[in-house]
Amino acid sequence: MPDPVVAAVGSSALGRTDLPGRDLFSVALVEAFDGLPDPAEVCEALYVGNQSEQYEHQIMLGTLLAEWAGMRDVPAERVEGCAAAGALAFRHAVKDVRNGEHEAVLACGVEKMTAGGTGGATDALSAAFERALEQRSGVTAPSQYAMLAQRYLHETDATERDLAEIAVKNHRNGARNPRAQFQQEIDVAKVLDSPPIAQPLKLYECAPVGDGAAVAVVTTAEKAAELGVDAVRVAGTGAAAHTLSVSERDLTEVHGARTATQTAYEEAGIEAADVDVAEVHDAFTVCEALLSEAAGFAPKGRGYESPLPPAERSEGWTDVELSTSGGLKARGHPIGATGVLQAVEAYEQLTGRAGDRQVEGADTALLLNEGGLADAVTVGHVLTTEGVAR
Amino acid sequence: MSDHELGADSPLTLPGFFDALADGELLGGVCGDCEQVLVPPRPACYECGSRAVGVEAQPTTGHVHSYTEVHTAPPAFEDEAPYTVAVVELDSGGRLLGRVDADYEDVAIDDPVELRVRDPTDEERAVALSYETEWPVHRFELR
Repeated sequence: MPDPVVAAVGSSALGRTDLPGRDLFSVALVEAFDGLPDPAEVCEALYVGNQSEQYEHQIMLGTLLAEWAGMRDVPAERVEGCAAAGALAFRHAVKDVRNGEHEAVLACGVEKMTAGGTGGATDALSAAFERALEQRSGVTAPSQYAMLAQRYLHETDATERDLAEIAVKNHRNGARNPRAQFQQEIDVAKVLDSPPIAQPLKLYECAPVGDGAAVAVVTTAEKAAELGVDAVRVAGTGAAAHTLSVSERDLTEVHGARTATQTAYEEAGIEAADVDVAEVHDAFTVCEALLSEAAGFAPKGRGYESPLPPAERSEGWTDVELSTSGGLKARGHPIGATGVLQAVEAYEQLTGRAGDRQVEGADTALLLNEGGLADAVTVGHVLTTEGVAR
Repeated sequence: MSDHELGADSPLTLPGFFDALADGELLGGVCGDCEQVLVPPRPACYECGSRAVGVEAQPTTGHVHSYTEVHTAPPAFEDEAPYTVAVVELDSGGRLLGRVDADYEDVAIDDPVELRVRDPTDEERAVALSYETEWPVHRFELR
């Protein structure tokens, strides 16, 4: 089986933009194909992760984006999985290349969240939760995650300040990422003093609403060599759906995320301790804590120590650096694009392009992208430089 | 299981569940293999995969497992914010989410609560899907 690689990446500006979704995609595509042949000459299929047609009243994004990329009469489809849509699209591309279906596939993600204002985004996001009992009770994305945070604070030694430090760390990383929606550092007082959104979660613990698009060219190592670009190998992929309802899940253990991660590790033949950098789905601060535990980076109940330097973390923690892009909190979280943006960061870290936030010697990355509440669906990928000619 | 058995009067479908709830009866699926309680009932158990799911009336009392306060509500509930919501664990071990008729500050984990059910208001009917308009609305009160 061919070993899939990421051969090129690109993203649009992230945040509040004046461009519609398809144009954001065009911007990302221009960056990824700088110096390369036309997308139609390279790619044989397209997948696009996208949360909701509610923002731009547009479905059929597979066809639309393929058309905008100049790719006609190819398989092209939109993939839905709320905030995990991007990684699901990426995973489809990986599997197509791995099984020999296509030599190169364009994995995309796009979301134009600001088109309907805050009300539009709140409404569109609430559709990701169970309808009959939970939506009808008036839940929102922050309130669903607040259930996890409330319980996490109850069951572990973590404090509200500990969770706030996760946001502070991710803003510090975002300040070193020219792609980030927020490139300013913040201090812990700013987080703790920000207005409550759904207690115990405060404004600065929540990923922002924003627009954005990202693309990744997934192909074979041979094709990447032919194109003359640096390649990063996709060594493992895993996905797992857990439960949609918040009430039916374990609020302090993301079982589905653990399964998806373990599958990706097994495919890659690695362990948690081998991971140098990880982009985890910090849609809310508590997510980074829970995912650190699920990925095997942290002992149970200690994931909240992710902002600490490795030497200061509890015994049983690995020395992984988390959310070096700034994470969803600072890099930005244009829902359907987030999973592909995680691949953009991994590509930059593993090819030494991460500038001021470069983790020296990083050769293995884990990406964890979640959709719905927590691990309602989780997609995990392991990317590595090992086995790729430079 | 045939389509006939899973009609709108079956408690394993949502219309059947809400019909019973309107009569004050909270139904749960109970897995015949692992005893997991499933609210609302459905044809298969997510815990063990078994399709041997029976239906049993659930207790309407339980306690708060987790809770929060919604400040920025979806447009349909804008006028009602802020409001408290909780994941409640019933005395049977089953769980469901609902509003709590209490201020956030007056609620704590493990507080005892009881289920209350009422008809939907005109406002709630206005934002309901066609099949939801007669579905009752459930809430919890502190005991």
